[in-house]
Amino acid sequence: MRSSTTKTWKGPTLAHSIVVDNVSAGYGAVRVLHGVSIEVNDGETVVLLGTNGNGKSTLIKCIMGIIQPDEGEIYLEADGERINLAGRNPEEIVNLGVALVPEGRRLFPRLTVEENLLLGAYREEARRGIDRNLAFAFEAFPVLAERKNQLAGSMSGGEQQMLAVARALMSAPKVLLVDEPSVGLAPILVSRVIAKIRELKEEYQLTVLMAEQNFNQAVKIADRGYIIVHGEIAFAGEDTEALAGHELVKKYYLGA
Amino acid sequence: MLSFEFLLNALIAGILLGGFYAAMSAGLSLSFGLLDVVNIAHPAFIIFGSYLTYYVNEHFGFDPILAGLVFAVPSYFLGVAVYKIYYNSFEKTGAESLRGLVFFFGLFFLIEVILIITYGVDYRLVRAFYIGKSTSIGSVGIAYRLFVPFLVGGILAAVLYLFLTKTFFGRAIMGVAQDSLAVQLMGVDPIRIKTVAFGIGIATAVIAGSLLIIIGPVEPTIGREYIGRVFAVTVLGGLGSMTGTLVGGLILGVAESFTSSFFGPSWALAVSFGILLICLAVRPSGLFGR
Repeated sequence: MRSSTTKTWKGPTLAHSIVVDNVSAGYGAVRVLHGVSIEVNDGETVVLLGTNGNGKSTLIKCIMGIIQPDEGEIYLEADGERINLAGRNPEEIVNLGVALVPEGRRLFPRLTVEENLLLGAYREEARRGIDRNLAFAFEAFPVLAERKNQLAGSMSGGEQQMLAVARALMSAPKVLLVDEPSVGLAPILVSRVIAKIRELKEEYQLTVLMAEQNFNQAVKIADRGYIIVHGEIAFAGEDTEALAGHELVKKYYLGA
Repeated sequence: MLSFEFLLNALIAGILLGGFYAAMSAGLSLSFGLLDVVNIAHPAFIIFGSYLTYYVNEHFGFDPILAGLVFAVPSYFLGVAVYKIYYNSFEKTGAESLRGLVFFFGLFFLIEVILIITYGVDYRLVRAFYIGKSTSIGSVGIAYRLFVPFLVGGILAAVLYLFLTKTFFGRAIMGVAQDSLAVQLMGVDPIRIKTVAFGIGIATAVIAGSLLIIIGPVEPTIGREYIGRVFAVTVLGGLGSMTGTLVGGLILGVAESFTSSFFGPSWALAVSFGILLICLAVRPSGLFGR
């Protein structure tokens, strides 16, 4: 369906991966993560499964520099270079090519859809491809093109989630972090958003880490995943079958 | 007495005044409207600009508009310094709502007192070839001392509008008060954005000051008369909207002009507070507020 325009997309040429090594973190005196280690290799889609309050979002926030880990290391391996992310603030990490679709979407409600997207392309590297990326965002999400002059805050939850994904991609990232895309959305919309993320991941050759509590939705996109329980990695599934077969998934998600 | 000419003259005078009000309020629309920084000292910076203009006009014969534009540059850095103090002392610790207001209130009086100590309480004025001249179209007289500020005010609002809506930096300014973390997630340092925007706000205040002293003589405490006006224009126009600031300025200018024509100039000051109250009651988001 899309052919020539896709090829001109200035995507990554070299490997990008995330390594989280023995990270502990929390809020004030409350420690949420206890020695978590995960890896997201180049081109993979890894899902971080866990019910509410087990530390999924905290881990994502650590990678993004929103929370600083108390212990442990977080690396971005980009183009053969190993960059320590700990101690960096979110804007620095974004400028290294990591984008986050945050929990709760965090759009600019009183900016228009188009202004939200353009703000997504703030970083120097993203500005070069801005016209192409904007056209691509509008093609991938036609509803955003229809509503480009509408204020983001006036759109429905599903539309806002799509805008949040599109805005993150406007920064021309190499690694995309997605925090709970299903929260507050009707199941049909969740399916649509997840399907879009998979499609965009192919187009942009992204490395994706997604925190999600909806197992059935998450496995549609995941190559493999981790189950996080009480701030520790309880299980690392090498593929979705291994995940689906695990007792924790059966217990928490599949109602077995 | 109530002739068509009389009304037309009042209308034109009001429109001209309104352009100047837009220039005065544009910087406040940036700081108060977009950054959530209640810079109540904004009029004091305007008067400060008037005195800077007065100084170089009196001693070196500088054109007032040129003086305003030149002083806008160091004033930007003054604004940057003020914001850094404000940020580190109040905003950073989340104490900005009340203590920050007191900070700007204190700054207001500090500037006033410095001007009084330096120049006394006498009125000061500037000289330029266009001050005192006027032209008339039909029966409508247009004084250049009002027309020039109107023109500069309109240009200032237009430039700021383009800056805010067409540049990356401008869009970041519009977004920063809405969600500071989201701005970071776009790869932007929100503190830097706010610092620069506040600096621009102060720079425009100083330009407005050069316009003020073209319109009429200025004394150090005259800024108090403009607190109500600048806040009325900013709120009426819709916080952060430059189109709104221009339209709000024009509405206030025309309303004041008619009020002073019919009821006498002493009522003019009440107009701004009247507009402010009605606007807050009927349409708190302002005419062009998002």
